[in-house]
Amino acid sequence: MRVLLITLAALIHSISTANTPNSPPESPRIVTLYQGATDSAVALGLTPIGVVDSWLEKPMYRYLRDPLDGVEHVGLETQPNLEKIAWLKPDLVIASDFRHARIAPLLSAIAPTVSAPTVFNFKTTLTMVANATGREAQANELLQLWSDRVADFRQQIAARLGSEWPQKVAVVRFKSDHVRIYTSGFAGSILDELGFAQPDTLQSQSWGMKLSSTENIPVLDANALFILLEPDDPAIADNYQHWASHPLWQQLSAVQSGRVFEVDPVSWMMGGGVLAANAMLDDLYSHYGLACHTPLPNRGEEPSC
Amino acid sequence: MRQTVTLTLDSKVQSDSKRLLHSLIMLSLLLVASVGLSLCLGSFPTSFTQVLHALAAPQSSDITFIIWELRLPRILLAILVGAALAIAGAILQSIVRNPLASPDVIGITSGAALAAVLFLALLSTTLSIHWLPVAAMLGALVSALLVVSLAWKGGISPSRMVLVGIGLAAAMGAGTTLLIVISDDSAAMTAYVWLTGSLYAAQWDDVRGLLPWLVIAVPISLAFARHADAMALGDAVAEGLGVAILRSRLVLLACSVALAGAAVAFAGGLSFVGLIAPHLAARLVGRNMARLVPASALVGALIVLYADLLGRVAFLPKDLPAGIFVAGIGAPFFVYLLHRSRARF
Repeated sequence: MRVLLITLAALIHSISTANTPNSPPESPRIVTLYQGATDSAVALGLTPIGVVDSWLEKPMYRYLRDPLDGVEHVGLETQPNLEKIAWLKPDLVIASDFRHARIAPLLSAIAPTVSAPTVFNFKTTLTMVANATGREAQANELLQLWSDRVADFRQQIAARLGSEWPQKVAVVRFKSDHVRIYTSGFAGSILDELGFAQPDTLQSQSWGMKLSSTENIPVLDANALFILLEPDDPAIADNYQHWASHPLWQQLSAVQSGRVFEVDPVSWMMGGGVLAANAMLDDLYSHYGLACHTPLPNRGEEPSC
Repeated sequence: MRQTVTLTLDSKVQSDSKRLLHSLIMLSLLLVASVGLSLCLGSFPTSFTQVLHALAAPQSSDITFIIWELRLPRILLAILVGAALAIAGAILQSIVRNPLASPDVIGITSGAALAAVLFLALLSTTLSIHWLPVAAMLGALVSALLVVSLAWKGGISPSRMVLVGIGLAAAMGAGTTLLIVISDDSAAMTAYVWLTGSLYAAQWDDVRGLLPWLVIAVPISLAFARHADAMALGDAVAEGLGVAILRSRLVLLACSVALAGAAVAFAGGLSFVGLIAPHLAARLVGRNMARLVPASALVGALIVLYADLLGRVAFLPKDLPAGIFVAGIGAPFFVYLLHRSRARF
């Protein structure tokens, strides 16, 4: 997956340097204040001068470490260090209303600021970053690539699964003492776009559900489960073991049909940008045994998943 | 004989007020020096001359924004928050006659917390985040009113109030936890930061919002300081000294609620300061209310100022909530206090 991301990033970079007839304006000095904005900036071939710490794989997700080598960190997404941002003298700050509404006046005093309403809609973020930096062409290309892949995936999975499609799936995140099921947000909206459905038990929930007792396992009545673990935290793996060995877990239809997939929380939840979204889609291709739709077939690149 | 007694008393009063003056001057000097230090420290240290230049001639300095819009309002808000919470705590400890009382005891913090989390969980999508302090303030007032009215039995008995306050705080704590559990990750995270207490991104509007509460409540508390001292001797003694107990108690309580509620509204759950600052101040100037109020205010301001300075510069580039460090200083002190009071009673 990492290889794909680097390839994708490199590809996009080569689009931005070689293939666009009128090459984009000089890279502005930008500071990105949420994960999806950082991912999108890298996808657009930009190198921010300041980024916020990642949620996992601190201080920065592995898939972004190479392109962001040596970039300054400005603290936490929830509480970015304003003074440090001011010292960096950026041309543009990319924020989100959801996280940064309270500091918006100060950010605007430091530099022109664009702000997305939420943090998890990767298309909104990508378009916003592109519009603010004059890279609309690259953004459109990435979005086109995305919708091609989505169309291909929908077609392939419908053919492969037949009457089993559409699948009801749940994104299940294990923490050390409880379990969270996500129905909306980043992964939820992508699964929705791909044509997946939600288990009936979760339909009326706004963001999802928090479970703290194994008694609630039957809620996870889905055709497939995507399990988000954090490799750095052994307590989470222990809790997963505890749940997965429970008799009720063994009765779940996803378990019985062998469709329980451990997936990377960075691409499924934390990354929040177009690179992470593509990595998530790669996971889905490989878990359902579909032939991967190559990122840009006309360019003769190796298929990367 | 009689003359000797008067003389001794006189000299005691004199040395006492000398000691008070001495303590207050020392604390004030320390505070001024700490403000100077805080102004110089940040993500990148700036020299004292640069800071003075930015303060004196904002037009011609390149760090004007950093000093005037980032560091100064935050330092001033830290001072106001610390002072307000400390005075609120000093008043409460005196009226409920319990050294372990703090603004939490009458439900102020838990009420503000519940209202703030309720706001974050349910209203933050429809209302601007700038209404959060208003919501927290309302929560503090409503819960203080609830405590007083539930504890009311033809008057207010301090011990009844403490019990009702603790019960209500527990119930509201449960409500807060429930709300955090059912809200999504991002709202829950914002709620946690708020509950910890933070002066992050303090702006001039916050300073202007908090200052009036102090300007109104501090003089009133000082005017009623004598009554608080009398009540500290017990209701019977206070009545004998001609204090209208109920009225004085309600006025002082209102001051305490206004100060703590306003401070919590702008800085979140930092109320631990209200417990420890009065005790530290009492060691310097004694339990006399009129002295304890200014001394507590200075001590509280210093604690919050240093807690925020640590959060701001000790873990760069992270900017951490001051509440972490207030609790870090406060928790060991709390244990010490419990230990001492056990030894005494």
